[in-house]
Amino acid sequence: MLNGFMKKFSGKKSSKETAKKRLQFALVYDKLEINEMTLESLQKDIIEVISKYFEIDTKSLQLEVQRERDHELSALVFNTPILCVKKNKAYNAQKI
Amino acid sequence: MEGKIIVVTSGKGGVGKTTATASIGAALALEGNRVAVIDMDIGLRNLDIVLGLENRIVFNIVDVVNKRCNLSQALIRDRRIENLFLVPASQSDNKDVLTTLGVQRLAKQLKSEFNYVIMDSPAGIEKGFENSVVAADEAIVVCTPDVSSIKDADRVIGLLYARSITPRLIVNRIIPEMVVRGDMLSHEDVMDILSIDLLGLVPMDDQVVISTNTGVPLVMQNQSLAGQAFRRIAKRINGETDLPIQVPTMKTGIWSKITQKLGLTK
Ligand SMILES: Nc1ncnc2c1ncn2[C@@H]1O[C@H](COP(=O)(O)OP(=O)(O)OP(=O)(O)O)[C@@H](O)[C@H]1O
Ligand SMILES: [Mg+2]
Repeated sequence: MLNGFMKKFSGKKSSKETAKKRLQFALVYDKLEINEMTLESLQKDIIEVISKYFEIDTKSLQLEVQRERDHELSALVFNTPILCVKKNKAYNAQKI
Repeated sequence: MEGKIIVVTSGKGGVGKTTATASIGAALALEGNRVAVIDMDIGLRNLDIVLGLENRIVFNIVDVVNKRCNLSQALIRDRRIENLFLVPASQSDNKDVLTTLGVQRLAKQLKSEFNYVIMDSPAGIEKGFENSVVAADEAIVVCTPDVSSIKDADRVIGLLYARSITPRLIVNRIIPEMVVRGDMLSHEDVMDILSIDLLGLVPMDDQVVISTNTGVPLVMQNQSLAGQAFRRIAKRINGETDLPIQVPTMKTGIWSKITQKLGLTK
């Protein structure tokens, strides 16, 4: 009991949190047979494309693979706050 | 009669499939059902010894499937629990001697004679697993709260879904002290990761070892917390779907220790 509190206050991650994170990653990677490097480089590419149109907060964005058990489907979920639209780009895109 | 075939499986070995099969089978029989437990772990037979029926084996499942005997000759009737029967595995053959077709034929006959048929699957996802799930109406996946067991459970769940079976989960060998400390995944964590329905939670319990030492079914030991958990699981399978799932908790107080010893805690 005390142990649990100590860990909470010291801010150290408990071993089960580490286990959970590792498992969640491992299962996604197993299913898609991709590795962390592929995801990272995908993330870089996506940021590059989106940045043409939007000012985004690159620090708080998240790229996640979510699993849907019943359908055996995985969804790529990209979450990012938009700071503002880059005006001229959006305009150019409209013209085309 | 049109009974149900339930397979108990896990991917990873040693997580408690045989313990669960024996306990759930015995508990379902105590609830008044006609039950057959089938040892599908050909070559590594265990269910008979866990149930204390090892001295009474004459024929085994391979004999039945290959028509060297009738089903009734291979069924061992438990003398302590009415309506509980065992079909033992063969110890000498290997897993390839059974065909899915042969198992399906046997399953059909079993279904006509029993309310519940519980199949104890071997570890792994090869032929032995195939044979165990081929006739299943329902599946129970057993895992323990550790990373490799959960990872293997996930794989098996995927294989079951591919066969249009929606399995339910038993988390076994839970140590509440470690969960509280943050050093063992809680059942909520496991559910988050595997996202399937929960059937029950079974604590780590010395009585499991004692029960297998003596060959007395776990669910007959009233003071066993694991035994109580399996009895509740059996009730849930048997239609008491509202029965709440009890989360194993730390029992440290002297009073709870005493009541536990006396078999008063339910
Ligand atoms: N809740 C529990 N508390 C304590 N010990 C347990 C519990 N469940 C299972 N065990 C022990 O763990 C060991 C493995 O259990 P069991 O034989 O049921 O696993 P299994 O999944 O059938 O293994 P295998 O894959 O080899 O067939 C046994 O020694 C058993 O007594
Ligand atoms: Mg076993």
